[in-house]
Amino acid sequence: MTTIPAICIQFLALVLFVLGLATTLSRRNLFFLLMGVEVMLNAANLSFVGFSRTLPGEASVEGLVIPVFVIALSAAEACVGLAMLILVFHSRESVDADAYSRMKE
Amino acid sequence: MEHLALIYFGIFSFISVSCAAMVLFARHPINGAMALIGLMTSLSGLYAILHAPFLAVLQVLVYAGAIIMLLVFVIMVLNGAKDDHTPYFDPLSLGLLLVPAGILAVLVHAFRKHPLLMNEKAVRGTVDITGQALFNSSTGNVVLFEAVGLALLAALVGAVLLAKRNLDSSKEN
Repeated sequence: MTTIPAICIQFLALVLFVLGLATTLSRRNLFFLLMGVEVMLNAANLSFVGFSRTLPGEASVEGLVIPVFVIALSAAEACVGLAMLILVFHSRESVDADAYSRMKE
Repeated sequence: MEHLALIYFGIFSFISVSCAAMVLFARHPINGAMALIGLMTSLSGLYAILHAPFLAVLQVLVYAGAIIMLLVFVIMVLNGAKDDHTPYFDPLSLGLLLVPAGILAVLVHAFRKHPLLMNEKAVRGTVDITGQALFNSSTGNVVLFEAVGLALLAALVGAVLLAKRNLDSSKEN
């Protein structure tokens, strides 16, 4: 088994999550909002894999199954999110998140 | 040889953190997308040294191959270079980062009480074993698998409907 300390993986996942959260919260460009969500999902996946390595036998595979679902769902999220982005971009000609504060127009 | 995994872990974690920081500070969306590819690839390397080769391959195939490709395609289609007048940062909302700082404090406290150790008996997550866990009827993962399939179908239909409405409105104009 690897000699990597399990706690280091969790802290790496936390750092990645914080960077993704900061991207989603502070950037005004709609593309970066979606990218920040992807970074956060990846940090959660890394945390799952890191924790799964601390369990014995069959239980260690369970933590590898959930990231498969997360990857599939983030593909769905990116698909719908980008379709909506194209749609609203054509009506407003801007990628500034604040331009979409009034949806009914 | 024992230290090799640690060295690779250091390299990959450095690349992933710097790529995530590049996503945060990139000016143009295409630079952010390129940094995102670096992040996905380095995370794939991390999964490989954490004995999860199936996830490593899936990460490259689905994330770097499909999702980022879609993102880059949309950036190209919309010509994100029109983005000059969009403000860069909204610093006020960064105050919400106090929440993860609280989570960090709780984590440090919990791990100091119960130190987290790698298990020697953890199974290597090959395609065979991961697939068996995925379709094992006793754990209920099959139901989740079907639900994810339904969600993907719904996303597909939703994206087609959104695109179709877009075509109709452009015809009316």
